[in-house]
Amino acid sequence: MAENLVLKNLYKKYDTNGKKKQAKEQPWAVHDLNLEMEQGTFVSILGPSGCGKSTTLRMIAGLESITQGSIFMGEQDISSLHPKDRNIGLAFEDYALYPPLTVYENIAFCLRAKKVPGEEIDRRVREIAKTMKVEELLDSKVSGLSGGQKQRVNIARALVRHPKVLLLDEPLSHLDGKMRQILRGEIKRLHHEIKCTTILVTHDQMEAISLADYIAVMKLGVLQQYGTPDEIYNDPANAFVAGFIGDPPMNLLRVKVVEDASYTYAFELGDGSLLRVPEKFYRVIHTGDVFDLGIRPTSITIVEGEEYDARFKVDLFEFLGEERSVGIQINESLLNIVYNDNRRFAEGDIIHIRVNPDLLFLFEPESGERVRPR
Amino acid sequence: MAKITLEHITKTFGKKTALKDVSLCVEDGEFLVLFGPAGAGKTTLLNMIAGIDDPDSGNIWFDDTPMNFVEPSNRDVAMVFENYALYPQMPVYDNIASPLRSRKHRTDEAGIRKEVERVAAITGMSEYLERRPSQLSNGQRQRVALCRALVRNPNVFLLDEPIAHLDAKLRNAMRKELKLMQKNLDCTSIYVTHDFTEAMSLGDRIAVIRDGEILQVGTNEEVYYRPAWEFVARLFGECEINMIPARIEKRNGRLWAVTRWEGVEFPVPVDVERSLGDVAEVDLGCRTPALAFSREPAAGYVRGSVYSVEPLGNKTELIVDVQGDLIRFIIPVDTKFGIDETVYIGLNPEHIIFFDQKTEAFLACHGEETGTEV
Repeated sequence: MAENLVLKNLYKKYDTNGKKKQAKEQPWAVHDLNLEMEQGTFVSILGPSGCGKSTTLRMIAGLESITQGSIFMGEQDISSLHPKDRNIGLAFEDYALYPPLTVYENIAFCLRAKKVPGEEIDRRVREIAKTMKVEELLDSKVSGLSGGQKQRVNIARALVRHPKVLLLDEPLSHLDGKMRQILRGEIKRLHHEIKCTTILVTHDQMEAISLADYIAVMKLGVLQQYGTPDEIYNDPANAFVAGFIGDPPMNLLRVKVVEDASYTYAFELGDGSLLRVPEKFYRVIHTGDVFDLGIRPTSITIVEGEEYDARFKVDLFEFLGEERSVGIQINESLLNIVYNDNRRFAEGDIIHIRVNPDLLFLFEPESGERVRPR
Repeated sequence: MAKITLEHITKTFGKKTALKDVSLCVEDGEFLVLFGPAGAGKTTLLNMIAGIDDPDSGNIWFDDTPMNFVEPSNRDVAMVFENYALYPQMPVYDNIASPLRSRKHRTDEAGIRKEVERVAAITGMSEYLERRPSQLSNGQRQRVALCRALVRNPNVFLLDEPIAHLDAKLRNAMRKELKLMQKNLDCTSIYVTHDFTEAMSLGDRIAVIRDGEILQVGTNEEVYYRPAWEFVARLFGECEINMIPARIEKRNGRLWAVTRWEGVEFPVPVDVERSLGDVAEVDLGCRTPALAFSREPAAGYVRGSVYSVEPLGNKTELIVDVQGDLIRFIIPVDTKFGIDETVYIGLNPEHIIFFDQKTEAFLACHGEETGTEV
């Protein structure tokens, strides 16, 4: 039996110190969360601050009580186990290393506490130090290390106990851009080597997409979508997920369905300009319907020639290296197009665009729920 | 408006030299970006121009007027900082109007209204004039800070990392807004940032600074396609440029670049040949277009193995281990690789930027991408 980690109808409400009146209004930090994480996979819990991601992580680790529901590791209910008996390794954003100790002693600390024989400690510390590329630092004091090095030591310390599950809480958010990019690659590599079930909590969608096999997107304590990065990116469940994932972010525009001589149906944008409705939506739309239309900047192509879905005047051109970007102002918002060839555009140019119909999404304006073609 | 001329500016703080013989000219009405890593001297230079700090030696001119001993308040310079320091108790209107009510710039109320409305229109804040700062988003607060700086119609507009602290999504949106505002902006501006995307998007020209020295001044395409130093090349691009060492050898009257990877060698493009002089050791600066990959062995390709794969939504970053060198580049999102999979790497000489290995200075690149015209 594989030891999948299963969260079953998990609820969490924080204690209000006995103030009964407030308890009623206290929102759920986590509300009816169900997740099954297969052994050996890399799962990311992703969401903005206050979405309940860290609370969930802390409940898995046993650092936070569970208001309702249970957590299983394989067949075993671990909900009421003491943190130290759960066999879980933890690495937080702030490294919480022991500054007076050497890197070696920091990594060895919990093994010593468990009275593991000295020889085995030495073997395991050196083994994990090699994996985390901190071998040369073993004799250094922690206080002199860079942020990236500290985080490596921190993860090494979590892994030295050979945990069944590794929990990472925003491990990269303290680091500067370059270091973050490097360590991101290392964490990916590490997971490939040790194949330990890993849960990464982050607010950085790029981190989640680049590292995880599966992503759980949360908002205000409620799971929004659970799927592979590809599913989350290319098949978002609602407008929140669509807008949260992707850099540059997805264009989300309020549109109204109108009948049109040349397009049959068109979406009328806020400034009156028209965008052809892909045929696949004909059965779910009616003239006058209002939607939020979602389209990624990279799903729009600027074309020459007769066939096009919309025509706009350029308000903004940005050279960004391999990528270039064109912006079109539609009332208060900006429709953003990103491409990576050598073309240049100038303010005032008229462009014609085509939209990839498979990657054009419609959402209910009120609920944000996805409207799918039938 | 004014043309700013800096001549041989030097500044030391104790033993540390913050600025070394900096000479720079910002044209009348130009938007210049001062770009470099933390501690490069960007803010120090800005403070000199504002008059907050004095140079040890060197001259500062606004048009034909020497500014060295002019008080900050008499320089007609407006500054915007990262923290916007608004008056929380005042509505937006009064926050923007506050400089015009100071003793120095006192204006009658009708004049104030006209000015406030003018700058609010530039920044798209016209509808928020009655609100208090607490009722605004971070992006809107920053716009109020911009308005307040602009309202005096300054000679010179200095912006010190004004959007650095915003989250990625908001920063992206604010950058585009600043870019849209630029065309209505009628003053000489210097913008300090360490974000290469902001630098490339906003700057008419970019001055790259390191350790108190200006390394290069040029348009976004110049610094991207013809970086004066390896250091500059490394700063631009979200996937750091690869530097591959090579020897230059003469064969049958042609110059060849020979890397330390067996079989990876090529005749140097003819127009590059002329600029190489007698440099024998070069670094081949290779961004994504300069690299080719194949799943099958091919002539001129070297065998590597996939070190890490990081999907980024609409593209994927691949890190390949080639005989111990980690090579990073972007591949299309629908090209799938697994970790440790074999991949063969080749080079596209016409996209390579050649640097002198010893001095790290720019030598040459093939003519197509000089950044002047495509």
